[in-house]
Amino acid sequence: MLTSWLGPQQATTPLVYHILLALLASGVLLYLLHRYLGPRGRRGLIVVATFLFGLFFGLEYFLPVRTKTLWPTGLPNVGGSAGNLLTPGIEPMSNILAVIGAFTVGLGVYSLVQVHGRNVLRRRAGWYNSFAFFLSFFAMFSFGLWQYSLHLPEPIPPTLTLTQRIANDGYEILFQGLYAPLQAATFSLLAFYIASAAYRAFRIRSAEAALMMVAAFIVMLGQVPIGAWLTRGIPNEGAIALLRLENLGEWVMRSLNSPAQRGIALGVAIGALAMSLRVWLSLERGTFFAEQK
Amino acid sequence: MADQSGSSGQMGAGASAGGFWARLQQIPRYYIYLLLAAVVIWQILFPIPFPVTPSATTRGLEEAIRAVPEGKLVLISADWDSSTQAETGPQTAAVVEACFRHRKRFVLMTLSPPMGAKLANNIASEIAKQYRATYGVDWANWGYKYGTSNVLMAMVKDVPKTVGSDFYGKPVKSLPIMRGVRTVKDIGLVVEVTGLAGMTEMWIGLIQGPQGVPFAAAYTAVMAPGYYPYLDSGQIEGMLVGAKGAAEMESLIARPGLGMAIMSAQSWAHVLIILFIIVGNLGYVLARGREKSG
Repeated sequence: MLTSWLGPQQATTPLVYHILLALLASGVLLYLLHRYLGPRGRRGLIVVATFLFGLFFGLEYFLPVRTKTLWPTGLPNVGGSAGNLLTPGIEPMSNILAVIGAFTVGLGVYSLVQVHGRNVLRRRAGWYNSFAFFLSFFAMFSFGLWQYSLHLPEPIPPTLTLTQRIANDGYEILFQGLYAPLQAATFSLLAFYIASAAYRAFRIRSAEAALMMVAAFIVMLGQVPIGAWLTRGIPNEGAIALLRLENLGEWVMRSLNSPAQRGIALGVAIGALAMSLRVWLSLERGTFFAEQK
Repeated sequence: MADQSGSSGQMGAGASAGGFWARLQQIPRYYIYLLLAAVVIWQILFPIPFPVTPSATTRGLEEAIRAVPEGKLVLISADWDSSTQAETGPQTAAVVEACFRHRKRFVLMTLSPPMGAKLANNIASEIAKQYRATYGVDWANWGYKYGTSNVLMAMVKDVPKTVGSDFYGKPVKSLPIMRGVRTVKDIGLVVEVTGLAGMTEMWIGLIQGPQGVPFAAAYTAVMAPGYYPYLDSGQIEGMLVGAKGAAEMESLIARPGLGMAIMSAQSWAHVLIILFIIVGNLGYVLARGREKSG
């Protein structure tokens, strides 16, 4: 089964054993940590791990390049990107992060199942919504995995076996016919809210509000072809070309918006740096288990 | 208390006094929704086409695709899902068309969200049929790669090893298109198509800047204003802004598609919103004048 999920090339026997062994070892490790580490110990472990990982990536980025590496690597010095003594560790570290990330997906699924499972079992108000979650989750999961395990070629051949047809069509109907349109429809509702909000909120209560409205009109019309059509009589050469709505809109974006955005970006970057430092050093209020007693 | 009346929920000057001018400020939201829906449906069914003039930002992207050297790939990072598909879908299609049109081999990849890999694949597969392009030779899909910044850092060293298998689970090393592709420097241009903030910063910080790989982007109209500074600094070669950017690209490569089709509806929707704003303000100003005078 693993062979069909992972693909014929990747599911070599050692890889399967490695995956199973890693899962087993992770399970044992998690159990031991949960069993023997109290809240203080867990917090300490997370604080130390966060600091060490942050230190590694920080140092790797800031240390000068082309010095001796800390450990040998089989990788050639490709494209002149030799890096520094910590650079060879980037790949294994990244793999560790990817694996941890994969575990968090599992944690998310576990949490969803727990919450919605309780709702269904105790027949809480709106339990049918939770039931719908299970139905859609397992349908998408099963057909997704089934279709993937078949490794159908591209383009999909017209002659498929019945099993292949059911797996492929089932997945396409669920993904392309249900999930994608539902998500698109939900997001497209925003257009209606924006129209209504613009009508209600844009009032010329002050000179600044009037200025903002004028800029909004220019950009809104400059962003669509009807704007260019409205001012098509103005020549598109010389200084007067700026009065064409598409050019005026572009000028607002590049000459007025751009400097403001640059300032915002600088402010946000400095704020993010300060915030990152606080998280890295576990100083941020509410970090990890700070609220746990 | 929640507004049950369906009215605007906000009273402007003179609204309390009632009257025609006050009512102009309180058009029930249902009428706004209905009118907007009617305008969009009208323009989808009976479009009034307007000529599309390509902007400098779109021209920049098209020129960047044309400038990709022979033997190097265009990497289209399709980091979007169906929530922004109305804009990012036509943008992806336009970029894919431009690649085929200019005979540039390209690969698709998705860093986030995972759904983009499938949606972009559907688009590219359809267009590839029109150009009789072969998967694995003229184009490929690396699929969804988990880890964002870690993936980019690893790609600096070894692309085939980082990517591993393609969208169909096939090892990318076995694809003819990957011949000669070792590191990220073998990519001639990265085109980021996204509705997600933060992706560009990663591409520029880890790939465009340190490795010197040219970078271009296609953004949803709402997020594009934030990326103009990168365009001014030359870190972004070119940019598609919303569905209009897709329409402009389609116009540049003379292949009218979904972007052009959307433009009529979007044009009239914008006009309608502007009219609503004007009507609301007319009511506000005149009602305030009446209040002052009496």
